[in-house]
Amino acid sequence: MTEPTEPSLKDKVEELIRDNRILLFMKGTPEQPQCGFSMRVVNTLESYGVEYAALDVLPALQPLREVTAELSDWQTFPQLYVNGELVGGADIVNEMDESGELAGVLGVEQPERSAQSAKQELQADDPQQSPPIQIER
Amino acid sequence: MAISNDEVRLMIEASLPGAQVEVVDETGTQDHLHATVKAPQFDGLSRIEQHKLVKKAVQTRFDDGSIHALSIKTSAPE
Repeated sequence: MTEPTEPSLKDKVEELIRDNRILLFMKGTPEQPQCGFSMRVVNTLESYGVEYAALDVLPALQPLREVTAELSDWQTFPQLYVNGELVGGADIVNEMDESGELAGVLGVEQPERSAQSAKQELQADDPQQSPPIQIER
Repeated sequence: MAISNDEVRLMIEASLPGAQVEVVDETGTQDHLHATVKAPQFDGLSRIEQHKLVKKAVQTRFDDGSIHALSIKTSAPE
């Protein structure tokens, strides 16, 4: 009986995008971002309290660039996918956060940001955060 | 190898005729740039599509490492 073929990196990426409602390809991890843009997107996501999956692209940077170039015609990181679609990189996420669109895309309520907010006492508990994904090569 | 703001601006303008382009250096090291682009070609396009057009204009400079990071803000003319 023949060995099943090792899924390609592209297969694995497609599976991740399919299996995770909110998926962030980033440099580093949410606990230790390795790039300012990635850190910004993490901070933005955290402010919505959503659960998201994070993949550190640094261990396979060039191959992942090629995969996402093929899948989404986009090869810089970070990349935020929601419901299987590329939302954008740090700039777009930031713009949508400022315009109020991001809440809708993430499927959550717009968090209160103003100082007079009644929700000033934000719960200190961490959002249910999945551990960072490791891709084996 | 650093790249001048002018060069980036010219590349974007060449790729998007009629666009208003402004490029500034965010960190003073000439490799973290910010481009603001208003182009008629953006009309009707999603933000992602608009950003892709700008990135394509400077792709060669990403590839050769002259641009380390480029943040982009796009809009279509009113």
